Amino acid sequence: MRKALAAVALLAVSLATACGTKIGPGHDDKEVHLGLFVSTSGEIATFGEDTKKGVELAVEEINAAGGIKGKKIKLTHYDTASKPEEGKAAATKLATQDNVFVAMGAVASGISLAAAPEFQKYGIPMVSPSSTNPTVTQQGNYIFRVCYLDDFQGAACAAFAQNDLKAKKAAILQNQDDAYSTGLSDFFEARFKKAGGEIVAKESYKKGTSDFNTQVTNIKAKSPDVVFLPCYYNDAALIAQQCRAQGLNVPLLGGDGWESDKLVPNAKGALEGCYFGNHYAEADANPKVVAFVEAYRKKYGNAPSSLAALGYDVVYVVKKAIEDAGEFDRAKVRDALAKLKGYEGVTGKFDIDENRDARKSISMLKIEGEKFRFVRQINPSEVE
Amino acid sequence: MLRALGILCLGLAGAFGLHLVVSNAVPPYPALIVNMCGISIILAISLNVINGLTGQFSLGHAGFMAIGAYVSAYFTTTLRYFDPDAARYISEAPLFDGLWGFPPALLAGGIAAALAGLIVGIPTLRLKGDYLAIATLGFGEIVSILLSNFRAVGGTKGLTSIPGYADTFWIYGSAATCLILTGFLQRSTFGRALIAVRENELAAEVMGINAARMKITAFVYGAFFAGVAGGLFGHLMLTISPANFGYMKSVEVVVMLVLGGLGSSTGAVVGALILTVLPEALRDVERQVELSGFRMALYALLLVVMMLFRPQGIFGQRELSLKLLRRLLPSRDKPGRQP
Repeated sequence: MRKALAAVALLAVSLATACGTKIGPGHDDKEVHLGLFVSTSGEIATFGEDTKKGVELAVEEINAAGGIKGKKIKLTHYDTASKPEEGKAAATKLATQDNVFVAMGAVASGISLAAAPEFQKYGIPMVSPSSTNPTVTQQGNYIFRVCYLDDFQGAACAAFAQNDLKAKKAAILQNQDDAYSTGLSDFFEARFKKAGGEIVAKESYKKGTSDFNTQVTNIKAKSPDVVFLPCYYNDAALIAQQCRAQGLNVPLLGGDGWESDKLVPNAKGALEGCYFGNHYAEADANPKVVAFVEAYRKKYGNAPSSLAALGYDVVYVVKKAIEDAGEFDRAKVRDALAKLKGYEGVTGKFDIDENRDARKSISMLKIEGEKFRFVRQINPSEVE
Repeated sequence: MLRALGILCLGLAGAFGLHLVVSNAVPPYPALIVNMCGISIILAISLNVINGLTGQFSLGHAGFMAIGAYVSAYFTTTLRYFDPDAARYISEAPLFDGLWGFPPALLAGGIAAALAGLIVGIPTLRLKGDYLAIATLGFGEIVSILLSNFRAVGGTKGLTSIPGYADTFWIYGSAATCLILTGFLQRSTFGRALIAVRENELAAEVMGINAARMKITAFVYGAFFAGVAGGLFGHLMLTISPANFGYMKSVEVVVMLVLGGLGSSTGAVVGALILTVLPEALRDVERQVELSGFRMALYALLLVVMMLFRPQGIFGQRELSLKLLRRLLPSRDKPGRQP
C-alpha cells in the first residue's frame, strides 16, 4: 500500500512537468485544413448530408479556382450521429488531433453547443451553418453562425402576417417537444402582439402526433385570419389537410422547417396558396443563386435545400475571412469574421453582428402548385 | 468491513492515479473517450443490478440519468443562497461551486434519481417482463416531456454553460465506487437474494425472501448510480437537453449489458468499454473509405457478429476476477506451495 502511494506520488511529480496541449497551425505551404462536423447518420442525417454536399461543392469550386490565397482546402469531416456526445468527441478530435484551421458545423443546436466549448478553448474559429438557438454563439468569442435566429424568423413571419396578409387575429399550433417550434412560436407571439395583433389561440401537440383534429377544432372556433405552424414539413402537411377537412380555409404560415421536396406531395393540395419563410429561394434571379443551383444540380442531380445553400455559404465566408485577415492566423481570422459586413452569399446579404450572429434577410415563399414562388424579402430592420 | 473500506480506498487511489496520467500525459481526444468510458461503465454496472442480477427488464435508465444530470447541474449553476428576509439571492456565485461543491451536487443528483426510482418502483415492480419494460420506457418518456415543458431548466433548449467539474478522478472514482460496492453486494446475502428472485421468484418467496422489497431496493440502487452518471455526464458535456436522454440512450445501456453478459458486473464494464470506444475508433475507418454512414453500419455489423458467436454475452454470467485469471494463466506457483 505504501509502495503504491509512493509510486503514485512519483508519477505525479514526473507528469506535472509534461506540457499542455499544443495546437498545430492548421495549414502548410500547400494546404489549409478545414474541419466539418455534421450528422450524416441518426435522426437528422438528411440535414447533415445536404449540408455536407453544399460544403463539398464549395470546396471543389474553390480548389479548382486556385484555393484560398494559393492554398488548397483539405476538408476533414466527422459524423456526429445526431448525438451531442459524439459532437463533442468529433470537435475534440478535429481540434486536437487534426488541428484544423477553422471548423464548420453543426446543424443541430444541441450538437453545436456541445462542440463550441472545445473550439473556444483552443482558439479555433467555429462557424455553424444552421444552428438557430441563440445560446450557441454565446459560448465564446470564437463561435459564429451564418443563419438567422429563431427570434428573427418568428418575428419576420409575424410581420409578414400583419403587413402582407393584413391579419389581425392569429392562431399558433406548436410542437411542444421541439425547441425550434416553441422558440419560433414565442417570438411570433411577442412580435404579433407588440404590433397590435391578437393571438386568439395557442395550441400544442406532442412529438409524433398525427391526429390534430382537437387542436384544429379549437383554433377554428376562434376564427383566426392566419394560422402559424412552426414545425417541420411532415407535420405541416398533415395539419394543413386536417384544417382544410374541417373547413378552416385561412392562409397557413410557417418557417424554414417547411422546406422539403415532400411538402407539396404530402399535403395533397392542402397547402396551395400558403406561405413560409426560408433562407434562400431557388427561384431567386440573383446570378449568384442561379450559378449555385445550376452547379449543385449538375453535381448531385437534384435541387439544393436551404441546408445545402448554408453549407455552401459557410465555406465562402471562411474564405472571405481568411482573405480579409490577410494571413493564416486564427486570431486574425476571428477578428475578420467578427467584422464581416455586407457579405453576399446565396442565402442573402448579411452582416455579422456584435453577438457573432448573422443579421440577414428572410425570403418569404408562396406555395403555388408544385413550385415555391418568391414573394419578397423581409429585412431585419423591418421587424425591429 | 475494514477490508471493504481498504479496497474502496485503493479504488479511489487508482482513480486518482488515472486522473494524473490522463490530465498530464494523454491528449484531449483520447482523454475525452476515457472519460466517456467511465460514465458508460457506471451506467452499465448500475443497470446490471436491475436487469442482470434481479432479472427485471428496465428501459428507463436514461430517465434516471436525466434526473441526476438536471439536479446536479441545477446545483452547480443556478442554486444560490437565498435570504428570505431580504427576498433576494445573497451570493453571485452558485451555492455549490468549485471542488467542494461538486460532490454534494453529484450526490444530490443521485439521491433525486434514487427517490424517483422508489416512486416509480413501488407501483411498477408488480409488473413482470415486457410489462415492466413498457412501464419503465414510459417513465423515461415522462421525464423527458416534463423537462421539455419546465422553463426553469431551459425547456427543450436545456441547460448550457455547466462548469466542467467532471474530470477523470470524479468519473473513475464514482465508477470504482460503483463497481466495488456492486461487487460486495453481489457476494452478500442480499445479492444472493436478488439472484434468487431472478431465478425463481416463487421459490425465493418460499425461502423467506421478500421479493418485492428486493426488487425495489435493486431498482433504487441502480437509479442512484444512474443519477450520479447523469451528473457526471452533464459536467463533462457542459450542456444538457431533454433530447440527450431519449429512450435510445436506455437502449444503448441495455446493449452494453447484453454484449458484456447479462448478470456480470465485469462483463458490463467490458461491454461499456467496447460500445463507447468502437464508434470513435471507427471514425478513421469511415474517413478512409469516404462513405458516410459506413461507421454506423460497421458498428451494427460487429454487434451482430459478436452476438452470433456469443449469444450469452462476452462473459456470460461469470465475473472476471483475480481468481479466474490465476486459473487461466499458467501458474507460477510451484506445486506443493500454497497459493
